[in-house]
Amino acid sequence: MISLWRDMNRRGQVTVALAFVLLLFAPVAATRYVLSVLTLILYFVYVGQAWNLMMGYAGQLSLGHALYVGLGGYVSAALWVHFGIGPWLGVFPAVGIAAAFGAAIGWLGFRFGIEGVYFALLTIAFAEFTRIGFDHIGFVGGAGGLFIPYEQSRLGEWWNLRGSQLFFYYLAFCLAVLAVLLTALLARSRLGYQWLAIREDETAARALGIDVFWAKMKAVLISSSMTAIGGVFYAFYYNSLFPAQLFDMSRSIELILGPIVGGLGTVFGPVVGAFILTPVGELLISLTEKAGINAPGAKAIFFGLILMTIIYLVPTGVWPWLSQRLGFTRRRS
Amino acid sequence: MRFDNRTRPSRRQVLAGSAAAAAALAAPAVVRAQAKTIKIAVVLPRSGLFAAAGQSCHRGALAAPKVLADLGYAVELVHVDFESNVDVARTQTERAIADGAQAVVGAFESGATLAMAQVCEQRQVPLSINIASVPQLTEQGYKYLVRNFQTNAQLVSGGLELIKVLMGATGVQFKNAVFVHANDTFGTAQRAAMDRLFPAAQMPFPLLESIAYDPKAQDLAVEVTKIRALAPELVLVTTRSSDAIKLVRDMVRQRFEPKAIISPGSPGLYDEEFYQALGPLSDFHLFNLPWANPKSAVTQALAASYKVANPTNRFEVDCFNAGFTFEAIMVVADAFKRAGTADGPTLMKAVKATDIAEHVMTGGPIRFDEKGQNNNIQAAVVQNRNRTPTVVLPPDVAVAAPVVPMPAWQGRS
Repeated sequence: MISLWRDMNRRGQVTVALAFVLLLFAPVAATRYVLSVLTLILYFVYVGQAWNLMMGYAGQLSLGHALYVGLGGYVSAALWVHFGIGPWLGVFPAVGIAAAFGAAIGWLGFRFGIEGVYFALLTIAFAEFTRIGFDHIGFVGGAGGLFIPYEQSRLGEWWNLRGSQLFFYYLAFCLAVLAVLLTALLARSRLGYQWLAIREDETAARALGIDVFWAKMKAVLISSSMTAIGGVFYAFYYNSLFPAQLFDMSRSIELILGPIVGGLGTVFGPVVGAFILTPVGELLISLTEKAGINAPGAKAIFFGLILMTIIYLVPTGVWPWLSQRLGFTRRRS
Repeated sequence: MRFDNRTRPSRRQVLAGSAAAAAALAAPAVVRAQAKTIKIAVVLPRSGLFAAAGQSCHRGALAAPKVLADLGYAVELVHVDFESNVDVARTQTERAIADGAQAVVGAFESGATLAMAQVCEQRQVPLSINIASVPQLTEQGYKYLVRNFQTNAQLVSGGLELIKVLMGATGVQFKNAVFVHANDTFGTAQRAAMDRLFPAAQMPFPLLESIAYDPKAQDLAVEVTKIRALAPELVLVTTRSSDAIKLVRDMVRQRFEPKAIISPGSPGLYDEEFYQALGPLSDFHLFNLPWANPKSAVTQALAASYKVANPTNRFEVDCFNAGFTFEAIMVVADAFKRAGTADGPTLMKAVKATDIAEHVMTGGPIRFDEKGQNNNIQAAVVQNRNRTPTVVLPPDVAVAAPVVPMPAWQGRS
């Protein structure tokens, strides 16, 4: 973490510090709408960072990460609704179950040499059958959904994640900051370097004596656990869970777009990606509305075009390009 | 500069000046609260998974201002597409309110409606639900929410009751029935309601089996084979339009001809694509749903306005979504007129006190209970005739007589 800070020059350090302070004090000036968008951005920073660890660093493509969001959300919500167990306690079984699913996927994939797109298919398959399973589990409402009672009188019970928009903003802020710190820490750790070696050349990594299976398993376990915490946040923020929405592949795609656009395998890539994509989406809605374009889906077309343009112009992601252009990193001699 | 006694303002002058300044600063809010037109955000899924239904609701909203103006209401609508995405529904509701929306109407889909309800509750802005059937919406103590739509249980129980009415009116007795439903959110909720309500409804025929299917399946041949093996006289269905088409096609292919196919409270059998895809095979299917009352003057006015606003669409096909969306807007407009202000708590009080006798959909006056639920909505029996949904029961709203058993698949034109 400290080495990441040291790697940045003064300009980079000032920019990051300024961004942190701005976000910390954003609620002072931001309207509720801006705050709700910022909350969404920070949520995507968090879950994007979790996915980034697995794909960006360890090189394992998961297209079913919505599975962990769903499991985290459902387990914590069910514990709260049926047993009155608060989310701060409920987060542990939620993480445990998501990690168990992650371990099962990882074990199947890595033990039997399922790699690349086939591993991605495996992750999709798990998310899909879990969705179908949850459609039929009456205990969690089946396809009809699970609802966390919304009681105005309990607003302010932060220990039960019953809070206002401001509370959820700061919760998302903390999660995002912790995810960035953890990524920075892991990126410069022995495990992080092992992941990079595996990502670049698995055979060579094995030849160097790296226990590839365990290194990859650790990536899946950490990533699934982190994502499950994101699921707990989602459940208590929206107060309703539907398998068709939560486990859907579109959710997984939504979650991975930020790191891809921002820059895979970088600490600040998912942050930059989330700060581009969510505001662009909101801005396009506003612009198409103001331009009087009464064509539903027009926003999606413009959004797609912007995405394609970004990926075409900066295929390695916005953050590596940006940090180079603005000279955020120290030049190594 | 130094004030002497002559130039120094007196305490009274300072107080008066402060009051004037405060009044000037507060003026926009006061003017807004006392404006003659209410600004309503109509939040619908006009793109994404629920686009077809969302656009259908939107067409009703487009037709609303003219009808409401003729009724003496003044509304300004802001149309918001939430892309069938809960995240967008929440942020866009926040934006609409920040941009001056004084009430919100939406959102067809229950998850998104719940997300919006939280925003409205915190902002003290009334939310008038057009369509969303999960019971929890009105069971969780929201104070700024009303629903002019039936819950899943009400849809099913109303649908089952009308089957008895249909049997009585036509003299046709069904010996048995099978329930076929999509295993999506709505279908599974309907199944749960059916399991609970069918025995309680004391229907004069047994339910042989409930068969779930995946609405994304390429065809429903296996499910139809299963149904055929049970040989029911009545097939009860809960479908969406694409799978309703597949279901009927496979029934025709397998020459399975029950006496009637009835939806006890679901869409699918009355969508435009259903008529386009199946042509004459789309006729004579029945659905028991709250429907636009063809004999109501407000319905006729809405139909006329709809035709002008949406020349390429048919009101008769859209009237379920369009009608409920219109009514949700009407509820807010009426409350605003009575309250004389758009101030949230006062407006909500007026919304809760709604009593509209003349409206579009079948049923009694629009009134809300203490939870914000309108329990006066009544379903009608609607039958597809010449590719047009036609109300056939109850007699006070019917414009044609029901045809049961339905004619054979072969020889239809």
